[in-house]
Amino acid sequence: MRVKIMNVLCRSRKLVSSVFRSNILVDQTQVFGSWLSKARCSSLCQNLPQHFTANLASCQHRHHAASFRSHFHTRRCFSDRNEGRNSTSTGVFEEKSHEIDDNSFLSQSPLETFNLDVLVSLLRQENAVDLCVIKIPEHIKYTEYFIVVSGVSPRHLRAMALYAIKVYKYLKKDGDPNVKIEGKDAEDWLCIDFGNMVVHFMMPEIREVYELEKLWTLRGFDEQLRSMPDETLPEDFMFDVETTK
Amino acid sequence: MALPRLSRSFTGLLVETSYLIHQRTFSVSPVAAAIQKLTRVRVVDNSSLGNTPYHRSPRVIHVYTKNGVGKVGDKVLLAIKGQKKKALIVGHKMPGECMTPRFDSNNVVLIEDNGNPTGTRIKVPIPAQLRKMEGDYSKVLAIASSFV
Repeated sequence: MRVKIMNVLCRSRKLVSSVFRSNILVDQTQVFGSWLSKARCSSLCQNLPQHFTANLASCQHRHHAASFRSHFHTRRCFSDRNEGRNSTSTGVFEEKSHEIDDNSFLSQSPLETFNLDVLVSLLRQENAVDLCVIKIPEHIKYTEYFIVVSGVSPRHLRAMALYAIKVYKYLKKDGDPNVKIEGKDAEDWLCIDFGNMVVHFMMPEIREVYELEKLWTLRGFDEQLRSMPDETLPEDFMFDVETTK
Repeated sequence: MALPRLSRSFTGLLVETSYLIHQRTFSVSPVAAAIQKLTRVRVVDNSSLGNTPYHRSPRVIHVYTKNGVGKVGDKVLLAIKGQKKKALIVGHKMPGECMTPRFDSNNVVLIEDNGNPTGTRIKVPIPAQLRKMEGDYSKVLAIASSFV
């Protein structure tokens, strides 16, 4: 079977995979390690309306009856919790590979923005370990989604981060600000702040040390916060004006 | 601290027995400059280096800016417990721009050389303007528990 090497832009352009649902079983097929894998697809997906057929029309697939999945945005069944929602997948990811002709690019459909689905699917595709997405409630005015991922090695983290930036740059419109990778000096913790989402790429060891998921789901009731002793003013703290002179 | 003022008001009470004692209805704060060399700072994360007592409080020995003045978001070099440590300023006593918080103490978060915070949690409120500033602040914002 002919295996077509998909060029990078092509793959970033056609990120079609569905987001993992906690209550749906996903077939785990062959490990999607490199880009030169055979075209396979698992059968479970959610077919979507309009842009699905548009994608189908544009792409050719040769030897397999590949089922395409495209981005979907709003409908998602997550188990809601009070503080946030957690979807952890360790090693379960969907296939998205298919053979695409180089000259069959579509113009960007209006629904392809860099949103959470795109990010999660690309992280899964990159074999991210322990992906954790937390929805931040509205009253914490930091961001909407807080994502923590682990990787196999520092190089893996860096590759994931760079790929995320690449996809973001491809999908962004003119008004969106540029996004930079923070923590390039550190080899074990990188992070990227896309306005409504923040992604942290950490190694498993440092993830255990900081326990960001606990902090952002438990907020005030986090164990480490509770074990911190209460703040007392230092002895040389002077509040009164007259004694300072 | 407030004893001189108290004693003055007490003498006023005893002698005059009138409530025309001069009492301020507003708070007064001293002149405050931003953070520069040799300012004493308060470490606000839960690192052991910042929280173990020492006979000298942590002081700034170098400010990594063009002028030697440090505002929120600037890196400084501290002398803590006889060792040098980098830190990030997260609040100072000097009033800043309009609609930015002003703190009652010069707060600082310890940072390693590679930018990772030394502590794992910050209880003190962190200014939200750090997010918009240029620099690597997402890690400090990720371990903060409250924002101002």
